[in-house]
Amino acid sequence: MRIIDLEKKVGDFQLHIEDLKIEEGQIHGFIGSNGSGKTTLAKIIMGILKPDQGKVDYGSMKMTEITMTSQRPYLLHDSVYENIVYPLKIRKIRPDRQKIADLLEDCGLSGKEMQPARSLSSGEQQKVSMLRALCFHPRLVMIDETLSNLDPDSVDYFEQMIRRIHREEKNTWILISHRLSHIARMCTRVHFLEKGSVLQSGSVEEVLFHSQVSQVQQFLRGEALRAQDPTWEHGSENP
Amino acid sequence: MLKTFFDELFSDVGVYDAIRVTFQMAVTSTLLSAVVGTFLGMALERFTFPGKRLVIRINRTLMGVPPVVVGLLVYMLTMRRGPLGRLELLFTIKGMILAQTIIITPIICGLVYTYAAKTAPAVRVFAKTMGAGKLQTDLLLLREMKHEIYFAVVTGFGRSISEVGAVMLVGGNIKGHTRTMTTAISLLKSQGIFTEGLTLGILLLVMAFILQCLADFFRKESDVNENY
Repeated sequence: MRIIDLEKKVGDFQLHIEDLKIEEGQIHGFIGSNGSGKTTLAKIIMGILKPDQGKVDYGSMKMTEITMTSQRPYLLHDSVYENIVYPLKIRKIRPDRQKIADLLEDCGLSGKEMQPARSLSSGEQQKVSMLRALCFHPRLVMIDETLSNLDPDSVDYFEQMIRRIHREEKNTWILISHRLSHIARMCTRVHFLEKGSVLQSGSVEEVLFHSQVSQVQQFLRGEALRAQDPTWEHGSENP
Repeated sequence: MLKTFFDELFSDVGVYDAIRVTFQMAVTSTLLSAVVGTFLGMALERFTFPGKRLVIRINRTLMGVPPVVVGLLVYMLTMRRGPLGRLELLFTIKGMILAQTIIITPIICGLVYTYAAKTAPAVRVFAKTMGAGKLQTDLLLLREMKHEIYFAVVTGFGRSISEVGAVMLVGGNIKGHTRTMTTAISLLKSQGIFTEGLTLGILLLVMAFILQCLADFFRKESDVNENY
């Protein structure tokens, strides 16, 4: 997938991506401060926003093979089960009730299949939206801060799940997160955005540990301090 | 025994027929308006076209149109020399249904449009992320708005069942044919028979109360589902 000469103006904000390659089968991380354009770019890739100029070349990927989850997911006015099976139903795939029950049990939602999804806590709602997004095996999954409200065990569970699905299906992932440790653990490629432009793209090593771009270094220092994560040090091999 | 009491009390004005006519008219016109109004409300939200704001304003104005004006309009359309005279709708239940449908449709359309304008953006984004097609998205939106559409229809039914001006003009208040509960109350009042009129009014209120209970039941279920 390739994003070429893309422009989008939203109020005072201007997104301008000259040339960004999203290699298939990789786990990409979008990092950058608030308002840098990460979510806007993801929304354009998802087709939710239309660019003013330029285009997204999806290659062989179809729009129905792309999905995105957000920090505040939309849940149907229905049960947890009905929410999870919605993408299967619209594809006329018969849901495997036992498999869904097992998945719910694995992520701590056991016995809540028939509970109204909107009555769950925000963390549980995010789990439901993650399971829903992953159950139809999309080729590109974009996760916009969806794991941010989850407890460490749940984050661990979904990180393992992402790794397993990625290993088995060789699909493409875009993770948008402020947790640099999460990006460092999960991603194979990292893209740093600032003021609507991609300032640096490269491997985790290149961007998170050995970046020569001053804005990236500044951002990483700031985020590490904000996270108050004693294990994180810019330049460390094991954040 | 209760039947005998009501038989004696209301034999003069044909109350049982009035109840039947009222429900036949209210249910049919509400069903027609529900289909047309919901479709128009959803379409108004879905499509952008020149003059859309004007259409919305006109619809909002029509939501409060005096029924007697609609009654007069339908009367002029359906009178023997009117454009629809050949259909012989004047002083028939069909004519009353036509008038009621004209009154209720803008109400349901306006309410559905308002709800859809609020709900649709989030539902469309969600549907896109799930890979839903256009038809699947529209069906999902309808599904997500089922409670709101239900309330719009209940509101329309309430308006229809309590209406008197238009049905009096178009129906003519003919005993056993086009007399409704409201036109019967109006007649009883003009004859100075207040007790029967009041009893009939209470019957109407009881029906409205039952409807309200049903609406509350669904609202409660809807509230349980939300956790804002």
